[in-house]
Amino acid sequence: MKRIFTALIILLNFGRVNAQADYSASLIPKDLLPYASAVIRNQNVYTEVKDNTTIYRIKTAVTVLNKNGDDIARIVVWYDKTNLIKNIKGTIYDEFGKFTGKFSEKNFEDVNGANDFSLFEDSRLKHYIPSTGSYPFTIEYEYELKSKQTLNFRDWKPNPETGLAVEKSSFTFACKPDFNIRYKEINMPAKVSIGTTTEGLKTYTWQLNNLKALRSEPFSPLAESYLSMVKIAPQNFVYAGISGSFTNWKELGQWTYSKLLLNRQALPPEAIYKVKELTAGITDIKQKARKIYEYMQGKTRYISVQVGIGGYQPFLAGDVERLNYGDCKALVNYTQALFKAADIPSWYCVVEAGSNKVSMLNDFASMDQGNHIILCLPLKGDTTFLECTSQKIPFGFLSDFTDDRTVLACTPEGGKLMHTPKYTAADNLQVRKAVFTINNTGDLSGNMATIYTGTQYDNTEDLVGEPLSEQKKTVQKMYAGINNLDIEKFDVKQDKKEIPVSTENIQLDAREFASADNGKVYFSLNPVNKLRSIRDVRNRTKPVYINRGYVDEDEITYALPAGYHPDTEPLNISLSKPFGKFKASTVYHDGKLLYKRRIEIIDGTYSKETYQDLVAFYQAVADADSYNIMLVKN
Amino acid sequence: MNKFLLNLLLISFFSSLTQAQDFAFGKFTQEEIAQKIYKNDTSAHAFVIQEFGSNRIDVASDDHIKMMFKYHVKIKILDSKAFNKGTINIPYYYSDEVQDEVTDIKGLTTYADEDGLIRNAELDQTKIFTVTENKYWKQKKFALPNIRSGCIIEYSYTRIIPGFGRFPSWDFQDDIPKMYSEYEVHIPAFWSYNAMIRGPLKLTKNVADIERECFTSGGSKSDCSFLSYGMANIPAFIAEDYMTAQKNFLSAVYFNLEEWTNPYTNVKNKVTKDWKDIDYNLKHSEYFGSQIKKDLLKPYIAPVIAGKTGEMEKALAIYQYIQKNIKWNDINSRESDGIKKALEKHTGDVGDINLCLAAALNSAGIKTDAVLLSTRGNGVVNRLYPVENEFNYIVVKATIGGEDYLLDATDPLLSFGMLPLKCLNDQGRVMSLDKPSYWLDLNAKQKKTNTTSLDLTLQPNGKLKGTINSYSYGYEGYEKRKAIKKYNTVDEYIENLDEKLGKIKILNSSIGNLDSLDKPLVEHYEVEIDVYDNLNHNRLAFNPVILNRYVNNPFKLQDRSYPVDWGMPSSSRYILSMSLPDGYIIEGSPQNTAVSLPNQGGKFLTEFSGEGNKFTYSNVIQFNKSVYAPEEYPYLKELYNKIIASEKADIVFKKK
Repeated sequence: MKRIFTALIILLNFGRVNAQADYSASLIPKDLLPYASAVIRNQNVYTEVKDNTTIYRIKTAVTVLNKNGDDIARIVVWYDKTNLIKNIKGTIYDEFGKFTGKFSEKNFEDVNGANDFSLFEDSRLKHYIPSTGSYPFTIEYEYELKSKQTLNFRDWKPNPETGLAVEKSSFTFACKPDFNIRYKEINMPAKVSIGTTTEGLKTYTWQLNNLKALRSEPFSPLAESYLSMVKIAPQNFVYAGISGSFTNWKELGQWTYSKLLLNRQALPPEAIYKVKELTAGITDIKQKARKIYEYMQGKTRYISVQVGIGGYQPFLAGDVERLNYGDCKALVNYTQALFKAADIPSWYCVVEAGSNKVSMLNDFASMDQGNHIILCLPLKGDTTFLECTSQKIPFGFLSDFTDDRTVLACTPEGGKLMHTPKYTAADNLQVRKAVFTINNTGDLSGNMATIYTGTQYDNTEDLVGEPLSEQKKTVQKMYAGINNLDIEKFDVKQDKKEIPVSTENIQLDAREFASADNGKVYFSLNPVNKLRSIRDVRNRTKPVYINRGYVDEDEITYALPAGYHPDTEPLNISLSKPFGKFKASTVYHDGKLLYKRRIEIIDGTYSKETYQDLVAFYQAVADADSYNIMLVKN
Repeated sequence: MNKFLLNLLLISFFSSLTQAQDFAFGKFTQEEIAQKIYKNDTSAHAFVIQEFGSNRIDVASDDHIKMMFKYHVKIKILDSKAFNKGTINIPYYYSDEVQDEVTDIKGLTTYADEDGLIRNAELDQTKIFTVTENKYWKQKKFALPNIRSGCIIEYSYTRIIPGFGRFPSWDFQDDIPKMYSEYEVHIPAFWSYNAMIRGPLKLTKNVADIERECFTSGGSKSDCSFLSYGMANIPAFIAEDYMTAQKNFLSAVYFNLEEWTNPYTNVKNKVTKDWKDIDYNLKHSEYFGSQIKKDLLKPYIAPVIAGKTGEMEKALAIYQYIQKNIKWNDINSRESDGIKKALEKHTGDVGDINLCLAAALNSAGIKTDAVLLSTRGNGVVNRLYPVENEFNYIVVKATIGGEDYLLDATDPLLSFGMLPLKCLNDQGRVMSLDKPSYWLDLNAKQKKTNTTSLDLTLQPNGKLKGTINSYSYGYEGYEKRKAIKKYNTVDEYIENLDEKLGKIKILNSSIGNLDSLDKPLVEHYEVEIDVYDNLNHNRLAFNPVILNRYVNNPFKLQDRSYPVDWGMPSSSRYILSMSLPDGYIIEGSPQNTAVSLPNQGGKFLTEFSGEGNKFTYSNVIQFNKSVYAPEEYPYLKELYNKIIASEKADIVFKKK
């Protein structure tokens, strides 16, 4: 009886689809076509919470306009042991909306979805690339995903990528009336509408129509600042059999601390003894912490192992002590345990890592906003954050991986939002001084010293600890503007301060650096630090966003070949804009040509109109950077 | 007594009679622990102290013939840059039909602790993960514990491989140097393999011996050949830019089954002796010959060639039809399980698409053969004896009007008769259905050629105005088309190009022959170029190379170990004709340059001619060969050097 009932429902559904759908490509509104490779004709995302599980039903009709749309139309469904796929099926229509074929789960390829760098991660994906002989064509597909938890709900992002326009898209979240949720609408023109289903479920529905295809624009702000999306978080939830409740960061941090982190830091007595021994005689807490941190760095290495409670629970500190490896959670938890052995309090912090500075939303707590863990030392007036997955990074330095963003500290007193240090343009310095001699056949020789500070400290990381033969190869690529670069001597030193400094010294020569032609000698004034012009964008739609600022200063003294002098007008340029400053000049005196250059790029968000200025600025700098010197005989 | 012992050993599954040459697990010397550098290569971050492998064909407890491959390695980790050597992946075949097994994984880290005491940390068996990669492959993954600078890591495992077809090969060379690496194999006389040693390094041990009565199965007994290959002081393999597959240069030994006798029935099976057999098998294979022979495609092809008379006309129509109608699913293959199905589903792998093309052309009466080849990434095929599974790709050879055309329909932007770069790899094997198969050179028929001419006038406002015309032939045209087709429309491409060009504004444009793949791609632009703010200067310096100026030399190494392989010859020509405003004359101009590579390998020429307020500058860069030997590398590097130097020189204009 039950079987028949199901069959009937499927038939009914199918009938409805057939009646409604007309997927002729010609029906797509004309104003959705610019920059679009594919158009979502209709998408329904339905999320339902039912008996401690979350069910997603996704139904999409997308028209692929040309070959570039193939990637967008590619169906990818992630799953793992707790997120199961049910019923994938779909239909293909031609340009005129005429049925041409069907596909189902057996047409999908099933592959491992783990990162290459992961030792273990239980994530898999099924994917399928629809194809027909010609464009445009339309596919309509649907699938169901069952997730055995009610802590995280997928965000609704109706238009997540460039080249995709959206005709119609809707999102419904359904749950029992007593299942309280919080939601956050981001860049949503339309507000929620709340209703009730015939089964008595409460529904929250959002709908968006006619979204134009986005074009990639350089210097775009973070997606959160312009993409439409809806985020949902539960009040009461069950995750991996553990229940909990939160309405703010404090409560979420409290739950994380007490259910996932507490009692995972036991260490064997030898390890505790080791810590005591290491810190014996040191009184300053920060110095103690530094000592322990460096010990931890020397002992462990980072290996990604996504096991444990949904990948949220660190494995035991005792295991790291024994194995000497762990993922970010395990290494932070272990470091915390070592600190504890020296009575140094520290906090486990959830962060969204990456070069883009993505912060936890101040007014909306949810579990899915971070992808990495760092450690906070709450020292009085000197809060210090530590990255625990690198063997090399200086104590207290976060690099561009986790700087300047809001993170969630999980403390015994509950969650606490904190902000990691910002490295300003003035912190991120690169200062270079070179003294070169050019002889009359154009050969160059000399010394070049460069000091890197702040986030620019990482510029030399690839060179440290490498043999000279490898260093030479890297340096030749770094300074590709010096042709025939030959390195006589090279050294690099690191000063691992909280705002670290590295210093690079090169003694070099380069045969035929300058070219002699018809009694004249030509060379490029700035062969070492050229800025490239940036792409113009007509009809820019987004504000200009500069993620991180920096200052570069270059000073090169060229001793010119005897009997020659420059026959080019001296360079003298000075630009000043809200987003940056640039100055470059040459002075010729007594057989020597002194070149000075300073550029400062200031981070921040600027109006979209500023982009024209930015393009002109970069172009002017690029021109000055490709300034050629012509020498003639006296 | 002896017999009894033999049986006992067999029961204990795969034990060996001869003394195994494996080194003892967990043993180390003080010297090994103390080493801070590797004296044969001081740049190494780690090196293999010893590596040993063995493979043996035997009867498993389930009475099936299996191979038992044992691997054991001991690696010295010198510094943290080599810690990744302590994370190990062992891929193994695991499909619905055939399942390899990886067992007996052992791992050990030996290190000196903070107090200088030598300690051991064993691999925890619960920390070994099994990962399913896809339908055919799984992996065992583990990380060795307690890795630190100066430690020695060691691990071993056994991989049981059903059957005897996938005999494991052995790479002597890797990305870290090795002190010693050895591989020994035990092959019962029922089986015969060709052993092939590749790469430039010499073996330091090469032993062949007979093991008496080492194999028993169903009452038949046989001797084994025992082969042992050793190599000492193996340098690390370092890859360079513009080289073909590493496999072509790595030192390794491969085994290919030649023939075998069924131990139960004593029936002899020839596997691979000569091409005659492969030819026969493929011709009759359901996945190859049958796909071409059976005229499955008539109903599809008839409308495509309706009304077409000439062979060339028909061939072109069919080629375009297949290009358009089957989308390549990015999978390489050398056979098809149904070309008709692929055509109906509009998707298929290389075998599906190109066998479909062969069948369709034959169906239209055009003499066409399939050609097996190995792509550049897959390495060069050995020519000593045939090994089918060294091939991973099929293209098609069609003969029209006495001329041969090599075709690949997987990419809709390839013109008729053009193979993609990945297929230009030494030689392919033409599998004719009515003649013995034969080798064929896979050379590029076309070059990569571009001619760009600019006709510009310097305006009184300091801007240049005029036209740019560019003709791209052969592979250059192919690459340009690919770049244009990345955009939804030509207009979007132009908009983007204009945005990228910075100081060059495109006022008007047209692109010709975008879809006529057999013709040169023609670009025509009317442009305005920002050069000077104004003309209030007595003298102006001007660099005539406005487009594609070489600033960096692609070749930076002092010398090179492997050939530079570009796949095809190339040439580019650049011509600038310019008019200056009245009142300006040319004060100085660059010297004409002429540089050539030895043996007509290529050249770089520039020419300047001017009169009054008009001048022409042109240059030619030409590489006549597809492949340049390491000995030619210094010349190649120097040629680029000269190009860069020459393109730095300015022309100077002066007010009269």
